[in-house]
Amino acid sequence: MNAEQKRAWFIVIVFAVCVVLYAALAPFIGARAATGAFGLFGFWGLAGFIGRREKPDERDISILRKATMLGFAASYLIFVLGLMSVWFAAFMFHGRSQVSVHVLPAIVGLGAITHYLVRAVATLVGYRLHVEADDV
Amino acid sequence: MSEISNCVRRLRFEHSEMTQEELAGRVGVTRQTIIAIESGKYTPSLGLAFRIARTFNRGIEDIFTWEDESSG
Repeated sequence: MNAEQKRAWFIVIVFAVCVVLYAALAPFIGARAATGAFGLFGFWGLAGFIGRREKPDERDISILRKATMLGFAASYLIFVLGLMSVWFAAFMFHGRSQVSVHVLPAIVGLGAITHYLVRAVATLVGYRLHVEADDV
Repeated sequence: MSEISNCVRRLRFEHSEMTQEELAGRVGVTRQTIIAIESGKYTPSLGLAFRIARTFNRGIEDIFTWEDESSG
């Protein structure tokens, strides 16, 4: 397992811990308070320290490039769909232009989480699948 | 699997049983990449293919063969 795979596993494991912690806390302290469990996503910032001395080769770069593209596509989808849905819901169901203060940070947070998670999963899948050096 | 096959594994053994690690070091990639190339899971860039060929003192087409579907 190389550094990129270790980083990807770290991100997936932190995500899993957050979800489990949220599910465990929600029944006791309420769903909104349990959302604080997602603060553990901050540990993703440490992923860059894993195997930083290892130099990626052309195959690693090819896999990472595709994974990053997928992560960006997924997060952009969340951003645009989420933000446009807010307008739709606000005017369609409430007839007003105000939305809860929770909505926008949730969309931005969800978009960022989606990017890192999809990128990590795509990296792990990429190392298992056939990868061409078509764009290296 | 790739439509480009290769005989890197055989050539390693013909060259004093060169290890994957040794070949990886000579051509500047990781051992994982050599494993992926040998198993046909990864098609190397032209630059890497040249480096592998030079390592074995062969031409690229002696090592990498394109399975042309139209010729079959």
